Amino acid sequence: MAALKELQRDLENKANDLNKLQKDISKNHQVRKKYTIQLGENELVLKELDLLNEDANVYKLIGPVLVKQDLAEANANVRKRIEYISAELKRLDGTLQDLEEKQNSKKEAIFKVQQRIQSLQAGKGKA
Amino acid sequence: MEKKGTVTQLSSIFPAEEAQKASKRVEEAITERQQQLNQIKGFIDDNISLINLVQKLPDETHHNIMVPFGKAAFFPGRLIHTNEFMVLLGEGYYAERTSKQTTEILKRRGKALETQVESLKAIMQDLKAEASFFDATAYESAEGLVEIREDYVDEDSSGTLPTAGYENPDSTSLEVDNRKGADEDEEYERLKLRMDELEREEEEAERANESESSDEDEQTQNEANSTISQNSMNQEVRSSPVEASDVPGVSKDGSSHGDHIALNNSTMDKALELPQDAKKVQTPLSSSNTAFTGSIVEHAHNIGMQLPEQRSGARSSKPVSRFKMQRK
Repeated sequence: MAALKELQRDLENKANDLNKLQKDISKNHQVRKKYTIQLGENELVLKELDLLNEDANVYKLIGPVLVKQDLAEANANVRKRIEYISAELKRLDGTLQDLEEKQNSKKEAIFKVQQRIQSLQAGKGKA
Repeated sequence: MEKKGTVTQLSSIFPAEEAQKASKRVEEAITERQQQLNQIKGFIDDNISLINLVQKLPDETHHNIMVPFGKAAFFPGRLIHTNEFMVLLGEGYYAERTSKQTTEILKRRGKALETQVESLKAIMQDLKAEASFFDATAYESAEGLVEIREDYVDEDSSGTLPTAGYENPDSTSLEVDNRKGADEDEEYERLKLRMDELEREEEEAERANESESSDEDEQTQNEANSTISQNSMNQEVRSSPVEASDVPGVSKDGSSHGDHIALNNSTMDKALELPQDAKKVQTPLSSSNTAFTGSIVEHAHNIGMQLPEQRSGARSSKPVSRFKMQRK
């Protein structure tokens, strides 16, 4: 009887962990989505900057003011930003994979505990 | 009659409710995509009207407009500098552009939007196919359709068991299919053979060309076959007769330092061993050939210089290092 209770508590804990993991995964997905959108926008900006003339005036909106920027500088900045975002996306992919693996192992563990509970209950029913 | 297969209720594999649930989920996905599509189409419309406006603005030097002031108030104003636009490129970057340049940027954006629309439409088509499949499954399982599975039986066995009336046409059609496949195989084989033949011909033609072009070189060198590597080797050999003719004389003079020369000789011989016969032919050539002045010629020269020194004191250091010392 005590063993059954122990198992049920274990199951509850594991279910909570799984829930947390799933939440993390969905959060990760959202962040990823945001970064992908930013990456697309930056790539668009880079394309347009490449098409601009050398002497074109480029400004960057910083807070409420437009600050004039060198075209080359702006280009370098955007490139750096794209690099950063790509690296970040890669990192997120890694963590996402990690989390998914953890989720799968948790699911398996939960399944095992459930089976044990069932077998215990079946044994009790016979007895 | 023996049992040939299994009969299962389709509803036991795909319960009607499950299939309906799946189809509902797909429908939801479709409506989501539809919303996205509508949004992008709105963007495209906005973009088009903006392009029209930007193209029209520089037609006048100024426009009388109502300037928004706060949330609800407007006051009359005047729009000047009608050919200067500050275009937001994204990520807070702005560029100063003329009307024409702005329309170009906007048109590029429109194109990007259209590609998005295309991809969305493709996705939606896929989803619709999926939905119709789920719907059909749900309908069939609700109808109480059964799935009949029969193990595949070979043609010859079906020939011996012509009991099932409608099985015969099936098997014959199968046979026909097989024969057709065999025909295709044969054709493929023939094609492959032909391709191999053509390839071989091509290779032979190439080889013939090669040997022709090299023959011209060979006639001067009096050698049968030549590849590029052999040509380069011959060049090495060409200079070697100088050494070969000099060295024996040297060794006769100074037999006391024979080991040193012998070492040199042996290394030279190794280099010479392979193209010996070529060397004989080339000896006359080499005298006139001054293009190659490799280390070997220098080498022979050094040996001559070194002779008296070596006689006086028998140094046992390595010859190579001594050359290096001398060169300094």
